Amino acid sequence: MTQRIAAFFAAAVLLALALPSLAQGTLVRVTGQLLDVRNGYVYFTSGDAFKLAGAPRIADYDTGKPTALQPRAKLFARAIIDPATKQVVELDLTTRHLADDASYASVAQQFARTKPTTEPAPEIVGQRISGKEVPVTFSVTVPPTTPLNADVYISTDASNWNPQAIKMDRIDGQRYRAIRRFASGTRFFFRVTRGTWNSAERDQSGLEPPPHAYFTKEVDAQSATVTVYSWSDDRANSPQQAGPGAIPTPFNPNPFPAGGIFPPSRATPPGGFPTPRPPAQPNRPPR
Amino acid sequence: MRLRVLIALAVALFASASALAGAAPTSSLDVTAKSVDFFSNRYVVTADGDVRVRLSDGTVISGQTFTMDLKLNRFLVAGDVRLDGPAVHAAGAAFAGYPDLDRSYFLPAAADPAAVPERWTYYGLDWSNTHAGREQPGDAFHFPDLTGERPYIYAVGARITPKTNVLFTFPRVYTAGVYLPLPRYVVTFSGNSHFYENGFQGARSDVALPFNGSEHSLTALHLRNDAFSGTYTAIDQHFVWNNDWIVASIDPLTQVQRQYNLIGFKTFSPKLQGRIFLQESAGSAGIINPPIINAAAFTEIQFNAGLRRSGLTYTQDNYYQQLLGFRTPPDELMATAFYDPRWREHPMNALLTWTGYQNSLTKNSPLSFRLRSGFGWAHDAYGEGGYVNEQPGPKSLTYHFVGGLLTTNAIKLGKGPAPYSLTAQYDRQRQWYSLPHHVDTGDARVALSRELFRQHVSYYVAYEVKTVGDYWGERQLAAYPTPTDTIVTAFGTHGGQSAFRGLATSHGLSTSLVYTPTQYFGLNLLLSRFYDTPAPVPGAYGQPPWQFTGDVRLRISRQVLLDLKRSYYFNFADERWTPQFEVQFSP
Repeated sequence: MTQRIAAFFAAAVLLALALPSLAQGTLVRVTGQLLDVRNGYVYFTSGDAFKLAGAPRIADYDTGKPTALQPRAKLFARAIIDPATKQVVELDLTTRHLADDASYASVAQQFARTKPTTEPAPEIVGQRISGKEVPVTFSVTVPPTTPLNADVYISTDASNWNPQAIKMDRIDGQRYRAIRRFASGTRFFFRVTRGTWNSAERDQSGLEPPPHAYFTKEVDAQSATVTVYSWSDDRANSPQQAGPGAIPTPFNPNPFPAGGIFPPSRATPPGGFPTPRPPAQPNRPPR
Repeated sequence: MRLRVLIALAVALFASASALAGAAPTSSLDVTAKSVDFFSNRYVVTADGDVRVRLSDGTVISGQTFTMDLKLNRFLVAGDVRLDGPAVHAAGAAFAGYPDLDRSYFLPAAADPAAVPERWTYYGLDWSNTHAGREQPGDAFHFPDLTGERPYIYAVGARITPKTNVLFTFPRVYTAGVYLPLPRYVVTFSGNSHFYENGFQGARSDVALPFNGSEHSLTALHLRNDAFSGTYTAIDQHFVWNNDWIVASIDPLTQVQRQYNLIGFKTFSPKLQGRIFLQESAGSAGIINPPIINAAAFTEIQFNAGLRRSGLTYTQDNYYQQLLGFRTPPDELMATAFYDPRWREHPMNALLTWTGYQNSLTKNSPLSFRLRSGFGWAHDAYGEGGYVNEQPGPKSLTYHFVGGLLTTNAIKLGKGPAPYSLTAQYDRQRQWYSLPHHVDTGDARVALSRELFRQHVSYYVAYEVKTVGDYWGERQLAAYPTPTDTIVTAFGTHGGQSAFRGLATSHGLSTSLVYTPTQYFGLNLLLSRFYDTPAPVPGAYGQPPWQFTGDVRLRISRQVLLDLKRSYYFNFADERWTPQFEVQFSP
């Protein structure tokens, strides 16, 4: 009987000793990118601040040994948190880019000390953008008078508005197409040209339209469809302009001007250089 | 009582006006640091070490590191951050600026360790209210992942004009495999394309060195190469506002033969735009010497107005061939490709055009049409009175025209996943002149196309007929006397010319195939056959009867697409393959 009572007390003592550690649990680990360490807090790029213990251990992320690195912005770190005190007792640093920590949100919810926000901010809208590659099909319907062999391009602000940035393929009598891949979230403006800014798209009234705004959504595939009604170098009475070099007479035998020897209407100083300059070879096909 | 209320309202209005004035986003960021880097692939500027960012209101944000995504228009200063200005002194862990939202998000660090960390939000440049406890974007303080990216520019400072450009001071710019030190360099990332439009000629290569810029201007030096002038420099100066712009350029700048360009564009209203283009070509021995050869000029003035379901365009072209006076023989009677001596004065052509919108023929019809008309005045278009027995043209004439375009939507033929598609169009125009003749033009085209999505192939066959007829009635043979049947040029003797009486036709059959199996490879083949009357004469007029063009696209890196193009002319004018590949790099 005495032995039973002693065993019971021993078990009770062990249980009593074990209870605090059970309550305390194991240390919690969370990784993220650092913003700053100052005034007793470590700040992560989430904006959360975690309280630092009095003398936290600074170690190398990979080896766990002491490191010469000092906590600073842009470094990645693993914070080891004592759940009992809710303080960071160790910071393991690395310059290596670490993947997102799936458990970060729940850990931050429990241990971050930043005062929670209470006032909503209506200007913050939008959806989660992963940056995955999305194939985007640009389809441009050109004016019917566009020559079959004309080159059509997309010019974007992402390519410094190079008028020949993205070359398109003619796929039928009216349309050109190009497929490019963009990261979701990519946002840019674009215009359609025939290779120069002197031959850019115009709207139905002949006015220069604003550039097309484009945004790559979080989808599997996307398309951007544009109709060009005219080009800025079109003349409504082309090719029968009354200007120099335009009338099909034997003395100016140029029924299809772009293919003939007479250059388009521009200043051509005698003895000087023509503008635009003559083709290196005669009779190139019209553009 | 009323007076007091009025005064109170006035005071409140004044106070709110001041607050509104303060709540504007910064118009510039002056960044200095030990190193400032620009990652062109990502449009990201970073700065590290003793970072100092000065906003347009004079507020200075200092910290350990800075990063700005130029396209998303947001920036971040992190690490030992201090915010100092006439109206603010604060320390914190990070400061994130969102000019587009007109908000700045701040993580203050209280000096008292017992204080609970907060989140503050500033409105615009109003630093008087911290708006503590306000919600912040989840990624406001995130750094962009630049793993594997190499800076395009290293610098010591940058002046960033949001949504427009970055001016780097003492940069080293990655050029042809090396970092080239320069005094200044401007990266423009504006959504306004007018910062890049200029009056330059086409060139084989063009390396731009933009060295000065602001919210509304850009100055760039260019190193260019073309077949005519070799390697030379050019310069252009842009002034750009939202919808208006001016660009002046000299191209070439360092050759004897120079060209001076000025383009101005003005949006008077959403429905009225104006554009002017001035170009002078002049020979000059030195930069400041007067022209020694000749000078000629071309100007074009254009106004576009949007009307109800139509548009009105006025275009005036002016040619000034002899700015330094007319040269005497022997050149006077010799027309060349460079110079037409008939233009003794300054030819001018003024044209007013009305163009209707595209309209469906009936409600559900695949047919649609567009109408146009116009009238114009041409002065000296054929030379001063024309040439005896060559051109019965007067010094000035008027003309008017009407025309229309009939076109179909794509008509599907057949069923299944890859049906054929048929498109057709017909354009017809008649132009009358004050001289008793008129010119009829016609252009009919039909195209049959098909897309095989699984095979990544699309192809089409098109047939096109173009006609141009100049009709003089009883005077037809006077205007078009029987020419000799053969023409001798440097490329040989060519017959089939005698039938020409003022009517020219061109029948063309073209077929094209586009094969794009992956995003890394594309092939575009085009074969055309033309039957022209009068027959084409190499070195004189017309187009090669057979033409083949091959275009291959290869993606050689994640960012660069190589485009190789070459044409074959089937021995027309002794020309087979074009002498050179057309090479182009694109994203």
